[in-house]
Parts: sequence; C-alpha cells; structure tokens
Amino acid sequence: MRPELDRLHLIEQQLLQTPAALPADEWRLRLLFDGELAADADLQQQLYHGLHQAGRQQLRRELRAIHARLYDAPGPRWLAALRRCWPWPQ
Amino acid sequence: MNTMLATARPATSSPAALRQALLANRAQTLTQLYRRAFPAVQRLVRRQGGSAEDAQDVFQDALVVLYEQAVAGTLVLTASASTYLVGVSRHLWQHELRRRARLPHEPLPDDPGPLLADAPAAEEPASFAVLDYVQQLGDKCRAVLLAFYYFQQPLTQIAAAHGYRSVRSATVQKFKCLERLREKVRAVFTHEFAD
Repeated sequence: MRPELDRLHLIEQQLLQTPAALPADEWRLRLLFDGELAADADLQQQLYHGLHQAGRQQLRRELRAIHARLYDAPGPRWLAALRRCWPWPQ
Repeated sequence: MNTMLATARPATSSPAALRQALLANRAQTLTQLYRRAFPAVQRLVRRQGGSAEDAQDVFQDALVVLYEQAVAGTLVLTASASTYLVGVSRHLWQHELRRRARLPHEPLPDDPGPLLADAPAAEEPASFAVLDYVQQLGDKCRAVLLAFYYFQQPLTQIAAAHGYRSVRSATVQKFKCLERLREKVRAVFTHEFAD
C-alpha cells in the first residue's frame, strides 16, 4: 500500500485495538516523535464515529423496510385487480 | 442448497450463533427476529397506551441494540433472542413513557444509545459533520466502509460481495475509501480545532 494508506492502517490498528496494535510504550514514542500523529488519530476517530452513525441510519432503513414487508402488505389480490380494472380517486 | 437451508433457519439461541447468522445473512436473520418478537412488543406497547408507530420505534431501537451488541461480541443472552428483544423494548418503552410524562410534546429521540447504560453519554458534534460526508461518498465506497466499520463483516465477505479478487484488494480499497472520507472531512475538522 501507499505510505498514506499504511499510516491509516497503523492508526486503525491502534484505535480499534486489533491484535497487531503496537504496545502502548511504542505508540507513545511514536506520538512523541511524530508531531502530526495525535491529530491524525483524532481525525480518524471522528471518521469512525461518523461511520457508526451512518451505519446505524442504514440499519434503521433496513428495519423499516422489513416492517413494511411484513406488516404493510397491500390488500387482497382481488382488490388490487379490481382497482386496476376500475380505478377510482385516492 | 443445504447451506441455504441452514441460513434460512439460523440457530439464534447463543450469542455466537446469532452473530454468525447476522453476519452471514443480515436481512433474513433480522426478518426472522422481527416476525418472532414484534407481535409481543406491539401488544405490550398498545396495552400501555402507545400507538402502532411507538411499538415500531421501540422495537427497531431494540433491534439496533441487539445487532450492535451481537456483532461486537458483547451480547449476553440468558434466554432467547426474542425474549431479549421484548425485554429491551419494555425497558425502552418505560423510559419513553417517563420521558413523555416530563416532556409531553417532544418526539422519541432517533438514537437509542443514551437510553442504555453501556452506551456513550453523547455523540461528539463533529461526527454529525462526518455523517454528511459519508453520505456524499460514492455508493461502493460507502457500502464497503459501512460493511466493515459498522456491520462488522469480515473482509473475505466484503471482497466477495463487492467483486474484489482478494482480501488484500478489499483491504486496499477500504483504506482508499477511508482516505477519501478523511480528505473531505479534514478541512472542516482542522477549521473547527483552529477556532
């Protein structure tokens, strides 16, 4: 990967505490020697918050669709056929 | 065919099985939970003076809670998932009734998080700005990022679903999309911190 993507990966490992995350001491050292690392990590944390919100919104849309499929079914087929043959104002 | 039958009737009795079923086929598993548990929640809410819409809102909040806990591996079940959903819905509805007694004219909040003990107290304001930029991403980027970071799908599944030849390609694409989002957000974020 490009160095920029590797950096995102490194920060992600730390923020999400994956098994590949650096030991705390080593991460602190990196923060000391890399003046932009803390700000980049803060920003990346914000991205994860936003993605969480967006994901929750999508899940809610999916649940509304499930509800509609299960409980907002159209009326009987004969009624739909009748409406097609003999439309009337809604 | 056997695999399809297995996912059509997911074993949702244990948190691990439920997690697996949600990751393998979210729509089908959620539909099954919905069909099993919603009627009881609807009866409960209607009996206590709520509307059909109230029942739908609290039940969907409960499902969001269940989903997030299940995929995060923090769900603890002492009974079936349906019983858990009814219990969480009851808790949310009681909370809502108390809230309405205090503030009768305000609608149910969109976010069930603050109603739950283990949820963060408040969402940081900057995440709302990020949310706007997530919506502006292309469909594929948004889908990949949400699949990984919210729905917690494994990269093997994401690679297969989005036509990447390998997990490596999916990983690179995920970081490219994250980079795209970061570039969009960075200007706003930097500006807020500079003020």
